[in-house]
Amino acid sequence: MNIERIVVPGELIWEQEMRVPNTAVVDGKTYAAVVGMVRDDKFIPLELVYKAKAGDNVVGVVTDVRHAGYSVDLGLAHDGFISSKFTRVSFKQGDLIFGKIKFTDEVGSVDITDAKRLPTGKLVSVPASKVPRIIGKRSSMLNVLRDGSGCSIFVGNNGYIWVGGKGNVQLALKTIDFIVKKAHTQGLTDAVAQYLNENGGAVTVPPKDAPEGAMPPKEETKEANPLMQPAAEKVESGQEQAEIVEKTEKTEEKLDIEEM
Amino acid sequence: MEKPELIKDGKRLDGRTPKDIRPLRIEAGVLNEAEGSALVEWGGNKVLAGVYGPRECIPRHLSDPYKARLKVRYTMAPFCSPGEHSRSGPNRRSIEISKVIREAFEPVVMTHLFPRSQIEVYIEVLQAEGGTRVASLTAAAVALADAGIPMKDMVSAIAVGKLDGQVVVDLGKDEDNYGESDVPMAITHRGKEIVLLQMDGLLSREELAQNLDDAIEGCEKVYEIQADALRKTYEKEERGKLKL
Repeated sequence: MNIERIVVPGELIWEQEMRVPNTAVVDGKTYAAVVGMVRDDKFIPLELVYKAKAGDNVVGVVTDVRHAGYSVDLGLAHDGFISSKFTRVSFKQGDLIFGKIKFTDEVGSVDITDAKRLPTGKLVSVPASKVPRIIGKRSSMLNVLRDGSGCSIFVGNNGYIWVGGKGNVQLALKTIDFIVKKAHTQGLTDAVAQYLNENGGAVTVPPKDAPEGAMPPKEETKEANPLMQPAAEKVESGQEQAEIVEKTEKTEEKLDIEEM
Repeated sequence: MEKPELIKDGKRLDGRTPKDIRPLRIEAGVLNEAEGSALVEWGGNKVLAGVYGPRECIPRHLSDPYKARLKVRYTMAPFCSPGEHSRSGPNRRSIEISKVIREAFEPVVMTHLFPRSQIEVYIEVLQAEGGTRVASLTAAAVALADAGIPMKDMVSAIAVGKLDGQVVVDLGKDEDNYGESDVPMAITHRGKEIVLLQMDGLLSREELAQNLDDAIEGCEKVYEIQADALRKTYEKEERGKLKL
């Protein structure tokens, strides 16, 4: 039985010492350092400042081309850095990228590796504490989201999300907003599948924990490895591209991107 | 204006007993653009606090490679009280209050987690009716927690003092102006550390000791309301708006 309670900074979580992030240990007892949820022996932060760590996936915007590499806005206190030594791709200012954090140092510098350029799409920012819910257990939520909207979606642990491709981008964004708002509730994957179906999406893959028959009969499913979708390589027809560009105008204005 | 009779038959000007605090309402997450925010309505006070960051430290030469810099700006709106605030912006008084609020948070906020960055706290007093610095501190604490800035402890603040020889809690404007002493205090919830203590007027040793006990009790009441405000944000529908 899960007994949940919401704790605020300075509130006792456990009587014994537990070294978990976003808590403070005083006199052998563990106290919350941020607003969060306690479920059994887990502490789930509900408000969180993202701390970059090696191995995390990130979505970012190239803000500067320097002679040794590229500066990337990750929505953190400091820009990330892609060294041109370790990348074959060249980027322009304003390019959206998806990469992995190679290492971070003690003063907050972030090095990114395996950076791919993302095609024109919509970039949105969500609080970093909601990212685990958007991905879900073994990316179950993300699969439902991609399946229901037909979009290609890249989620960065830093809270930036890129949505693009051929599907219903507006629906995907609405659904991400829905997840963010309901992030602290249970049984969210089912609710999201229902939300997608109600709003013109078509979820074909039933979530793993859904009871049999709760979902429409399984039709032809797309290849079940969406994380590996080579979205960056996808070539889109001119018309679709134009449509997406129109939708992203707002984002681009905000980011002050030069037209290529 | 002549000095009013501050205590009559054991009741204060607004009918409170010496240990009552004014009605306090706190709402967290009221601003869309801030990472964390809070609105505090405490008696006639209305205070809005917004927290931004951790973000790049500006100016750069002030950045600390070991910890984040905490920046607090307290300002009173020109319309916050009758007269005397014809111009907004920093002045001698508000700079002092900004400083004492910053120093109240420095031992609590875990700044070592965010090197080379700064955390900005903006506090705007929209309406003032005595005790704005404690209301501001209370608002700032909720806003910091709402922003997800790690804090070792929650800070609550309250003013205590003395009116006509009687030790009281939570002074209003007239009580502050005509009372014998005004002692704003901020105390952490778990550690019961005093992070802010100022004094205006005179108090005996015994009275101060009595005031301190009252302040701890009063801060506990304030803390409960702060904690409720933070928990309540998870019942709201508009929580965590998507930023495009």
